[in-house]
Amino acid sequence: MKRSGRVSYHLCRLLLGGVFVWAGAVKALDVPAFAGQVAAYQLLPYVWNYTVAATLPYVELLAGALLIANLRVKPAALLLILLNALFIVVLASVVARGLEIDCGCFGPDAGTTPLQALGRDIVLMALAVAVYWQYGRYAPPSGG
Amino acid sequence: MKQLQRTLLESLVITALGLLAGLTINYRVVIDAFAGHLTAPVTATTPAETGLPQPVLLAEVRELLNNGALPVDARDGGLFADGHLPGAVSLPLEEVETRLDDFGRQAAVGQTLVLYCNGYGCPDSFDLGLRLIAAGYRDVRVYEGGLPEWRDAGLPVVKEGGR
Repeated sequence: MKRSGRVSYHLCRLLLGGVFVWAGAVKALDVPAFAGQVAAYQLLPYVWNYTVAATLPYVELLAGALLIANLRVKPAALLLILLNALFIVVLASVVARGLEIDCGCFGPDAGTTPLQALGRDIVLMALAVAVYWQYGRYAPPSGG
Repeated sequence: MKQLQRTLLESLVITALGLLAGLTINYRVVIDAFAGHLTAPVTATTPAETGLPQPVLLAEVRELLNNGALPVDARDGGLFADGHLPGAVSLPLEEVETRLDDFGRQAAVGQTLVLYCNGYGCPDSFDLGLRLIAAGYRDVRVYEGGLPEWRDAGLPVVKEGGR
């Protein structure tokens, strides 16, 4: 029981880390295209879309890399919980406003609708919450 | 509680490091954006060289339109009626086959066309561009920022009937 719990904790950690490293890397490689996608959300003054596009991928990349490396897992998971909560609110506003845009979550050509992205972010949120809560149980600071 | 505060603080430090890394690597893009010179994602070439519609940025779109280019709206007629670029002609991608002859009477094949739709996530303007190039149009550009970027830049949007 305990062993399978530990295995699933580490799988969740690696999966969550992998997803965010990938999402961050794809967007970091084409900042102007990602800026265009942030602009499509119609939430920020135009130039701020570029600031978000220039920085957000690196926050995702760093948090994902820490999870994969098994370092600072709890703060990295908490950061991804907060980030996902933000994404969910933003995507919900897109759905509420009836905008037909690509979410831009995994780069320019992912072709995901806001509703699909919303569902995916809820799953990622659950994954991040699981890693956060299970951390103390399966990977306490003492290393046990 | 103290544990949570500490975790939160560490999360903030990770965020700050990520922001710092992004700003360090992309400082040029951010400075250019604030200075009003947006970074072009693709080096401009003429359509004749590639056989593909060429992407253009907002600043170039404004210049092209000032020089007589024709904006072409690839979205459906309802969205066009709700708001479009001044002087734009509606040519929805789904109706291109039936409306191409009509369109030909409004735009000669040598005319510079600036196609747009609903912004970066919308492929219709690019697909329409391919169709127009196949129909013989020689200077087809795609404004990928589309109506959302145009409107957010504070530029005029016209409802149906207006020009």
